[in-house]
Amino acid sequence: MSTQAEVPFTFVLPKEKAPKPKAIVIAGLVKENPTLKMVLGCCPTLAVTTAAPNGLGLGLATALVLTMSNFVISLLRNVIPDKVRIPSYIVIIAGFVTIIMYVLKAYFPALDKSLGIYIPLIVANCILLARAEMFASKFGPFSSALDGLAMGIGFTIALFSIATVREILGNGTWFGIPMTPHFFSPAVLLILPPGGFLAFGIVMVIMNYLTRGKVGGDVACATCNPENSHCAPDSILGGKA
Amino acid sequence: MNNIFLHFAIPALILGGLGLVLGLILAYSAKAFAVKVDERIKFVRSVLPGANCGACGQAGCEAFAEAAVEGKVKPSGCPVGGESVAKNVAAILGVELGDSVSTVARVACGGTIAVSRLKYSYDGIKSCAAAGALHNGPKACAFGCLGFGDCVSACPFDAIVIENGVARIVEEKCRSCEACVAACPKKLISMVPRGKNFVVACKSTQKGPATKKACDVGCIGCSKCVKVCPHDAITVVNNLARIDPALCQNCGECVKVCPTDAIHEIGGVLRVESKAV
Amino acid sequence: MNELGTIVGQIIITMLSAILVENLVLSRFLGMCPFLGVTQKTSTAAGMGVAVAAVLMIVAALAWIVNVTLLVPNNLEFLQTMSYILIIAAVVQFLETVLRKFIPPLYKALGIYLPLITTNCAVLGIPLINTQRGYDFGMTLVYTLGAGLGFAMALVLFSGVRERMAKSDIPASLQGVSGALFAATLVSMSFFGFQGLFAK
Repeated sequence: MSTQAEVPFTFVLPKEKAPKPKAIVIAGLVKENPTLKMVLGCCPTLAVTTAAPNGLGLGLATALVLTMSNFVISLLRNVIPDKVRIPSYIVIIAGFVTIIMYVLKAYFPALDKSLGIYIPLIVANCILLARAEMFASKFGPFSSALDGLAMGIGFTIALFSIATVREILGNGTWFGIPMTPHFFSPAVLLILPPGGFLAFGIVMVIMNYLTRGKVGGDVACATCNPENSHCAPDSILGGKA
Repeated sequence: MNNIFLHFAIPALILGGLGLVLGLILAYSAKAFAVKVDERIKFVRSVLPGANCGACGQAGCEAFAEAAVEGKVKPSGCPVGGESVAKNVAAILGVELGDSVSTVARVACGGTIAVSRLKYSYDGIKSCAAAGALHNGPKACAFGCLGFGDCVSACPFDAIVIENGVARIVEEKCRSCEACVAACPKKLISMVPRGKNFVVACKSTQKGPATKKACDVGCIGCSKCVKVCPHDAITVVNNLARIDPALCQNCGECVKVCPTDAIHEIGGVLRVESKAV
Repeated sequence: MNELGTIVGQIIITMLSAILVENLVLSRFLGMCPFLGVTQKTSTAAGMGVAVAAVLMIVAALAWIVNVTLLVPNNLEFLQTMSYILIIAAVVQFLETVLRKFIPPLYKALGIYLPLITTNCAVLGIPLINTQRGYDFGMTLVYTLGAGLGFAMALVLFSGVRERMAKSDIPASLQGVSGALFAATLVSMSFFGFQGLFAK
């Protein structure tokens, strides 16, 4: 009965302006730190932080991929049809991850060996798709690249801190160099899977306490929790509401 | 030369081919398995707040949009969106908004800690459902509000508070989503038309002496209110008085004669606050 | 007869180790986002677990076929990541379309979780692990079935813990994800006891 022509109004999202570079950097590093505040990318945070070089390596690899993918997606944002938005972003991200994978295999074989499948799993890291959808699809290429870099560095800082704590307390070393006095028995639990949960849990409690409120949840993107997102697509091909 | 060209062409072709085949399958399936979707659902969905809170009783905004287009819910069914959303939805569907009587939730229990007795001391999961599973809860009155706040947790609008061990609805914040009605294991909360200010705050069907033993402010079924009501709005069934909101004219005569102060005036002050010694 | 016994034995060992010893979520940290995100209620956790398990089977099978028929013969191993993710995105979308048409109630129940499966580490991780270990088709299916079941089980178990936690008095800093992570530590520790179940 009611056709498109009869709808008395249209729902249009107001056009947002890109944030200033300083704001982007602060958001990526501190205010919206992907691991600590937005609780995105939990898989590598728990899996790879068993040793400091691993945390640092994966963080930097992710940062590189994030920067490049944000840049390219932003360049193509007006070209990609809305209906195939998400698959296209993922394929672009996968391309860059493959490149980084082979660069690491060639120039940092030790790192590649210790990170294992977590390098190709950067594709499935929530952070990349979240930033692509929330930033790169809306703003220009250089802001997007900066956002990617900032988020990536923020991610790396978080990973590196957690990895440092886990390695020092769990193995007595840092980057393989013994750091603790000889009478200190390392808590091996910290290097094992339960220790990952424990370390991350302690970090989250500290963050909760410092921010005096809920961390994550409200801001975590649809890719992690549909009930708590502002941008939940109704289907993978669905357009924005 | 040939080799280098092939070196690049083959992967591109294979990946491209894979993508093409998958894309074609998806396109075909989208057409072949297409579900006819009413155009209007998209528009209704776009005017909804998008909070997916479930206050409307549907499973999210998309579900509400579908139900609205199918006519299963009224356009005014979204409490969070309020009037503006209701108007927009009605406009899209081309229907009249209609007169919707605004309702509000009411808790039918006045048994605060001061006036009611306990039958045992409870130390367990702080949930009305859990406590209520143990012989109807720690209160001597088997019907009373346990005050652990299952309703408070259920309310998306923070419209319920626990005062002195009994739940109380903050009427200004209540948006009639009826989540509390479902959450209360004792079924003490019901929806009443807004503006009817008198309610019997008790659900106990026990005989008078038994009710009085458990709680000072329970309804003992003495029927004094029935005799005094000029509009015949009150009936007593099973030792419990009930005010019919359709007939009640807010005159307040019943409150004056009730011997146990079981009838509350919402927004008024309880005549006697505590009978505790 | 002896051969059959060895094969059955291998199947059982692979499945049990996928479920218990190297549980996808609790030991390998794959699929953490839904583990922390949708386990607040058991109903949503079960929905997500079943959806992921189903998608995993289909994706693993297709990925194996594509790998063995297209990529390996042409020395295109470097295209594995991209092909797998393409397959995942396509399978998820296809499943959504088919469910919507043929089983609407199931679509309504699961619908909102299907798009989330595309970026699930577990769904990309399993084909990669299968490739890495060089499983043949049969073993791929067995291992993936075990992994999917283990994932669903971990999610449902953890949601039970979280529901119980939600009803207790917890300090504000520990509510939500942080408290859940401490609970996850203990659950993971209990599964850690299964290490060494099968002598390698």
